[in-house]
Amino acid sequence: MTVFDRGLQPERTALAWRRTALALLGASLVALRVLPHMMGVWGLGVGAAGAVASGVLLWLIHRRYIHHHQVLIQDGDRSALAGGYLIAATTLLCLSAGGVALAVTIMKAVAGGA
Amino acid sequence: MQPRRRFPASVFTHGDEPDARFSLANERTFLAWIRTGLALLAGGVALEALGLGIQPGLRLAASLILIGAGVLTPLQGWFGWVQTERALRMDTALPSARLALPLTLLVGTAGLLICIGILV
Repeated sequence: MTVFDRGLQPERTALAWRRTALALLGASLVALRVLPHMMGVWGLGVGAAGAVASGVLLWLIHRRYIHHHQVLIQDGDRSALAGGYLIAATTLLCLSAGGVALAVTIMKAVAGGA
Repeated sequence: MQPRRRFPASVFTHGDEPDARFSLANERTFLAWIRTGLALLAGGVALEALGLGIQPGLRLAASLILIGAGVLTPLQGWFGWVQTERALRMDTALPSARLALPLTLLVGTAGLLICIGILV
């Protein structure tokens, strides 16, 4: 199999994406386990949404790598490489996780103090 | 051939295609920021959720500081990616990570509060 770059940068990037998606998946599964205790059905929704988003991300990552690989191997038009949608989406996903973390912590603190 | 319109326009309507390896490295940097943010969030939540033997007020403060840092980190990731990608295309100087120092101070402060909270 030919590679575009001996340093395997496209492959390393794909793996970095996967590590990130798996981190999100792990956080979602923990949330799925723990949040329903505190937030009831909302906790289930948050955890499930996170798990689904992580799954979608993993599929999109796979497609992104295949696309990059084909463009670069054929020395194709690099303007065909992916833009920033996935990156923006990942940023929003992480910010949402931040919102959930904040809500959970405040709820726990209030419940503990009450 | 009509070039694809890519998002965001503020990046891709300027300059030329950089070496793909630099763009890929830029992506990996962004992802590293995201993973750092997730770790900070996990730390902040765990601190409060586990209810360790730490003075409650300080523990909550440290937890909120870590979560705050965990919310800032993806922002640094995104804006860093945008500015770096644009600099790569325009062949200008790369930006520095502007939030790196504030984030370091926040994490350090949280650690300090935890230390004090354990001791009192």
